[in-house]
Amino acid sequence: MSAILKTERVSKWFGEVIAVNDCTLNAGPGVTGLLGLNGAGKTTLFKMLAGLINPSHGEVLLFDRKLRRDSEVFRKVGFCPESDALFDWLTGYEFLVLMLRLMGFSGDELEQACRGALATVGLTDAADKRIGSYSKGMRQKIKMAQALAHNPDVILLDEPLNGMDPVSRRDIVRLIEQLGQQGKCVIVSSHILPEIETMTRSIILIHNGKLLAEGDVTEIREAIDDHPTVVAISSPQTRKLALIIAAKELVAGVEVDQNDVIIRTDHAAAFYKELPGWLLENGLEVTSIRTLDDSLQAVFEYLTGDHYGHK
Amino acid sequence: MPVYQRGYRSWDQSTKRGAPPWWAIARRGISSPLGSRRFMLLLMAALIPAVVKGGFLWFSWKMGDMGNLLTGGWTDITAVGFHHFLNTQMLFVAIVTTLVGSDLIAGDKREGGLALYLSRPLSVRDYVFGKGLINLFYYFMVTLFPALAICIFGYLVTRGSTGMDMLFLIPIQTVSYCLFAGTVLSLTLLAISAMGTRKVFVSLWWVLLLLGTEAISQVFCFINPWLRVISFTEMIHNAGHIFYGTGTTILISPYASLAIVTAWGVGAFLVLRKKIRPVEVVS
Repeated sequence: MSAILKTERVSKWFGEVIAVNDCTLNAGPGVTGLLGLNGAGKTTLFKMLAGLINPSHGEVLLFDRKLRRDSEVFRKVGFCPESDALFDWLTGYEFLVLMLRLMGFSGDELEQACRGALATVGLTDAADKRIGSYSKGMRQKIKMAQALAHNPDVILLDEPLNGMDPVSRRDIVRLIEQLGQQGKCVIVSSHILPEIETMTRSIILIHNGKLLAEGDVTEIREAIDDHPTVVAISSPQTRKLALIIAAKELVAGVEVDQNDVIIRTDHAAAFYKELPGWLLENGLEVTSIRTLDDSLQAVFEYLTGDHYGHK
Repeated sequence: MPVYQRGYRSWDQSTKRGAPPWWAIARRGISSPLGSRRFMLLLMAALIPAVVKGGFLWFSWKMGDMGNLLTGGWTDITAVGFHHFLNTQMLFVAIVTTLVGSDLIAGDKREGGLALYLSRPLSVRDYVFGKGLINLFYYFMVTLFPALAICIFGYLVTRGSTGMDMLFLIPIQTVSYCLFAGTVLSLTLLAISAMGTRKVFVSLWWVLLLLGTEAISQVFCFINPWLRVISFTEMIHNAGHIFYGTGTTILISPYASLAIVTAWGVGAFLVLRKKIRPVEVVS
């Protein structure tokens, strides 16, 4: 994966408080979730990625160019802030025109980009209404529109689904996925794990100011040695299945729970590779195979040692 | 076409560039108040002194007694008169700039606009320049533009009898003075706006600075004439004597006033540098 947005040993401190500590990461094409508990340094890191705060140490590089020292790079960045406050006295259309003019758009190109962005987020009908009269969901959408209107390569979205109704939420998630599939570098900051999980399996996890994990959730899960992967196999032959599986070296423990055999393994990838062979050899019938703890929630809890949402 | 159907374009630094970003800010800020009928009426009211001055000029010319115009009042057409005229416009300057400028940065801070602006290809300098131009434009609307219009009117009506003064010297003096005073006033208003998030707070401080310090100095100058220095507008006016080549009527030297007003401008610039941050950082 080629990195579009990079940080090199980035740190940020405010007085004696270290908000982000020695953070090196790479974000390439596709959607990446930036996760962290409240106070983890997620917001500070995100603002540094957006060039809104200068790092105390280290560099943020976009297309290998230094952010903030090279404001031209911002032509390729779309930033959707978390703040719900906007220019309430402007209409949605006027707001987009202003934002696009700041990007150097003019004439027909401006008009096209403006109308296109409004259509993308489904605000064409509300384009001439003042933003002050918009619902919370519509305000989120107009913020998204200004981030996308100039067709940026890097899109930074801070809590983009806040306040959206389920239908709008689905549309925006689909849009974010499509942007990622086109090869744009989309970084979504959120503290709602299921929200991120609907968009991507690629995450950056920050905790106490430090980068805790970066990459695909399943790969990260596999790298967590002190928590065996838990796999549930549903079968009408649970006892026979449990007996055969328990004898395998890759398996750390087996339990039977009604129609499920719950298996713990420290080598999930190898286990999944071998499992079909074992089932075929012994003529075992299975109805489903599920990994119970490679969800984002589980990975997050294992890594941070906290129940997410309990802090 | 929706964004997601446009396809991926890699960075090649060839993005088309239109007008500079500060112009987008200035343009938006200048055009917004013009949509208000009340504000337009106020602007028209601010032109009344200029119309009266023009009327005096016309009548005097018609009566063939131009010499009587040179009396030193705000209606005369000498450098003194124009300098005086600009000072009498200060009340309108206070009202118009309060309405236009007090929320320029405070509003952006309150509404998260700074993060939106500064995540785009513009620097803090562009932002301040764009916002400053808005204040400057409206300052010019009630000072420089009417003054220049009187110069043109005077020259045309008198068929050139007012000579080179009206054609070149006074316009150049007026432009120089208005640029100086307007820049300092604009920066100072922006600095006050950058220090708060509430329009009322900014407006009060601005009016206090423009009119309040003048009122206070009028009282205290009876105790000590040097206390004229308290008045912000008096200092600007006094510095204006340098631009118009006229004599001051107070104890304080115009050059001292120029230094004080310049210091105000520098101070305002430093406040802006410190206060304009894309995001409010809570440690």
